Amino acid sequence: MPWWLLAIVLIFVLGLWAIIGDAGYAPIFRALSGGMVTTLWVTAIAFSLATLLGMLVALARTSGNRVLREIATFYTEIVRGIPVLVLLFYVAFVGAPALIGAANWLLAPIGGSVTIRQFDFAWRAILALVVAYSAFIAEIFRAGIEAVPVGQVEAARSLGLSRWACFRHIVFPQALRTILPPLGNDFVSMIKDSALVSALGVQDITQLGKVYSSGTFKFFETYNVVAFLYLTMTISLSLLVRWLEHRLAVSDKR
Amino acid sequence: MTTLRLLLAAAVLAGSGIAAHGQDLPDLDGRTIVAVTENAYVPLNFADPASGEGVGLEYDLFNEIAKRLNAKVDWQLASWDVMIQAVRDGQFEVGMDGITINDERRQLVDFSDSYLTSQQFMLVRADEDRFTDAAGFAADPNLLVGAQAGTTNFYVAVYDVLDGDEANPRIKLFETFGTSVQALQAGDVDTVLMDQTSANGYIGANPGAFKVVGEALGSEDFGFILTPGSDLAGPINAALAQIKADGTMAGIEQKWFYDYNSAQ
Repeated sequence: MPWWLLAIVLIFVLGLWAIIGDAGYAPIFRALSGGMVTTLWVTAIAFSLATLLGMLVALARTSGNRVLREIATFYTEIVRGIPVLVLLFYVAFVGAPALIGAANWLLAPIGGSVTIRQFDFAWRAILALVVAYSAFIAEIFRAGIEAVPVGQVEAARSLGLSRWACFRHIVFPQALRTILPPLGNDFVSMIKDSALVSALGVQDITQLGKVYSSGTFKFFETYNVVAFLYLTMTISLSLLVRWLEHRLAVSDKR
Repeated sequence: MTTLRLLLAAAVLAGSGIAAHGQDLPDLDGRTIVAVTENAYVPLNFADPASGEGVGLEYDLFNEIAKRLNAKVDWQLASWDVMIQAVRDGQFEVGMDGITINDERRQLVDFSDSYLTSQQFMLVRADEDRFTDAAGFAADPNLLVGAQAGTTNFYVAVYDVLDGDEANPRIKLFETFGTSVQALQAGDVDTVLMDQTSANGYIGANPGAFKVVGEALGSEDFGFILTPGSDLAGPINAALAQIKADGTMAGIEQKWFYDYNSAQ
């Protein structure tokens, strides 16, 4: 075991010991553990959708169609340049009402209608994270796709493979290897960025920490637990990503 | 015959008198009111540390208002940063978070009548000896105050302690009460304004770190915010007036400002 991992395990054990042993920490831990579920499901849904959208944007950016390419590049550049928190407010208060308006316009002929109230803050926060991360993930996918030598594509095409078959069997499997490590990295960083949803009042770990510390006046005790919970999730995930990287490297050498 | 008519008239009068009493308040017919708060403002709205349930003066008061109007309350949570916008959009019908009534906000949302006039106190480090009241604080240009932008403690700091300039560099802005109190403890600022309950809470949670100096400051009136054009303003104000008049409000204030021990 490398030294850094040993140090982390040691800190983890000490933290756990403090939480179990200190009567003051147990109620904080109980109060915040509900937020962990929220943080995890918000991250999981947002990341899956962002990966999907990011892949589509990357395909558009690398496609032969100029219009698609221009639109995708425009989207990536605009979204990447706005801080996630600002984007969150835009999505929640400009994007969401606009979506509701559009939905009502579409539903009007069949007599249906939706109200802004049915689109709750958790889903608006997820939408914002999807938009924000899809731009970064698109760049990761593009890098992966472009890392496959163009000669291979030309060879495959000249052998009569369709564009789709070429992507499916030649480009994608190789691109995946380049893509996975940075994608895993983005997942870890989204767990942390999901804390931004607390700006809307979504009851994730950060918001529950804010609420708990303001109710009990125990500021640092609460944020110690908040940090501990995030670290537990992010470190176990980055270990998983490392292991995946390792696996892929093995198959690379074969 | 005359006696009978007199009796009848008296009965009608008496009856109408009783009815008028009950009719004082509009009947909302079991309607559900969507209300929002944040649970981060002791003692107005906060999560009970033991159960995690939202409790506080605003919960008690608004539940009482709804009860008297024959309405139910659907309590929702949102952060303070987005509350006014969300109520304005109609996502929530009524919002409360110790919101100071002022004209700028009136252009965005409707306000109910004031249900509380806040009193703010100066929380300082326990070893503070450079000033003992607001005037002493204002006189020394080196002294800094920590506040949350757009909240009561900010407005009181601007208008009741300092010179009325909202951009005064002596006010350092923080995200939450908790962070401004940490800044006070660390020495970044020299005072933070808060109500008596919160001050007691911080003093109790950090033994020997803080004390309160000076008299009560400010006269910020708190109101419920309502979606513009809301039909709830009339009924809420009527119920509020009755709750204040019959002493219920005094009881709720006593409970949360004096009896509740936030440092337990």
